[in-house]
Amino acid sequence: MIVIRQRRLRRMLQIGIPFVLVPLLVLLGALVFDQQRHLIVSFGVAVLSLLLFAAGFEKRVTGTRRLVLVAAMTALCVVGRLIPYLKPVTAITALTAIYLGPEAGFLTGSLSALISNFYFGQGPWTPFQMLGWGLLGLFAGYLAKPLTRSRILLILYGIFAGVAYSVLMDVWTVLWYNDSFDWTLYGAALVTAIPYTVSYALSNVLFLWLLADPIGRKLNRVKVKYGV
Amino acid sequence: MRRLEMQHPLTIVTILAAIGGISAVCMDPVLLSVSLIGGVLFYAVRHQGGRVAVYLTSAALFAVLALLNPLFSHNGKTVLFVVNNAPVTLEALLYGMVAACMIVAVLYWFRSLSELMTSDKWIALLSVISSKLALVLSLSLRYIPLFGQQIKRVRQAQKAVGLYKDENIMDRLRGGLRIMSTMITWVLENGIITADSMEARGYGSGRRTTYTVVRFRRSDALLLLLTALLTAATLAGLYGAGTVYYPSFSFAAWTPWRAAGYAAFCLLALLPTILEWTEAIKWRYWRSKI
Repeated sequence: MIVIRQRRLRRMLQIGIPFVLVPLLVLLGALVFDQQRHLIVSFGVAVLSLLLFAAGFEKRVTGTRRLVLVAAMTALCVVGRLIPYLKPVTAITALTAIYLGPEAGFLTGSLSALISNFYFGQGPWTPFQMLGWGLLGLFAGYLAKPLTRSRILLILYGIFAGVAYSVLMDVWTVLWYNDSFDWTLYGAALVTAIPYTVSYALSNVLFLWLLADPIGRKLNRVKVKYGV
Repeated sequence: MRRLEMQHPLTIVTILAAIGGISAVCMDPVLLSVSLIGGVLFYAVRHQGGRVAVYLTSAALFAVLALLNPLFSHNGKTVLFVVNNAPVTLEALLYGMVAACMIVAVLYWFRSLSELMTSDKWIALLSVISSKLALVLSLSLRYIPLFGQQIKRVRQAQKAVGLYKDENIMDRLRGGLRIMSTMITWVLENGIITADSMEARGYGSGRRTTYTVVRFRRSDALLLLLTALLTAATLAGLYGAGTVYYPSFSFAAWTPWRAAGYAAFCLLALLPTILEWTEAIKWRYWRSKI
């Protein structure tokens, strides 16, 4: 795994990639490229999130171990998406982020979207899903301390994540309908998406509640045992 | 600035792909002529004039491609003449010429790309950008079927121990959670073992070495930035109503935006040639001082 030694560069990547580069790439991909080229954008996002991941550690061994753990958690997300109606992706991503760091969370989220869509269908929505899950993982990683301490906060984060994911995906819905952004259409999309928003929030809460202990404890154990 | 050939592979690919990509998506006569001129010039400059056979081949290709369209497409208002009761129209001929221009231009750019990007440079480039991505993707994809197999094994073991006796929904749910829990432990441990084994075999022990010396210099950053700006300017300038071919040919309205887009693309398409020329001038200057 590549290691970025300069602290300043790492810092820049940690802020620049998730908040500037990836959103820009996703939006540009939706607006400028025609719809056929979404896979290029998706792989672009994947490469960027790997770079972000590389900015998250200082030692190579840590990097390799964390990378493989991320791959494993991603596979878990993908398999979890097979469950009908309730999707554990956000929950697993958030838990990975809490224990392995925000950058690992971003990578898990974005790769889960990319890989699972090989099964569920790739499309122009893939980059948006990558960004959405990636950012939700990232924030969970930033909030790791309070989230591990309080179960209530974890549940609240689950609800927030469900709403935020829906809000982001509706940006894509509007762009897809309309070619350009339109606030009234966005409002309408948000309202019609309420059942989905509720189901996202519900499955997040459910899976965070169910998995927080098993996954959390195990990730923590691996972290302590192997010093990831 | 150095010659394009001496730049970082990423810069080479980005510049040539930007030019080729824009040429491939815009059916605009002005832009495509510029792209063709740029492509031919770059080829000529790099080969001290180039081979006549190459020019002849591409000219023949251009002619065939340009004439092919009016033979098959009979759209358009202005009929030039009639062959076998089928009208040959000016519009179809023009469209054919523009399309031929695009194909020949893109071929020239790809020719340069494949000459500049030798296989060692590709490896150097991919080992920086994408070998990690390929690795993570293949790791994750491998874990998915492994999960299936391991779940089956765990379930069989638990059955053998005597669990899942009744067809009880709570029992099954609890069983599912138990399997899930086992799976997570297994996958994490297995992941660490995989990582350690990779590490022991030397994965990532330093950067992959490459035959060519690849360094990302300040000029690379500058060129990448310039390419991005010019590409954005071109696309922004040409966005919207384009040239209309059928039923009658008309150029897109000439706005300042469009002119700026053309200017940006001119600079972009000539950038490789300009780099080459600067180097040649520098070379002659230094030699004259000896």
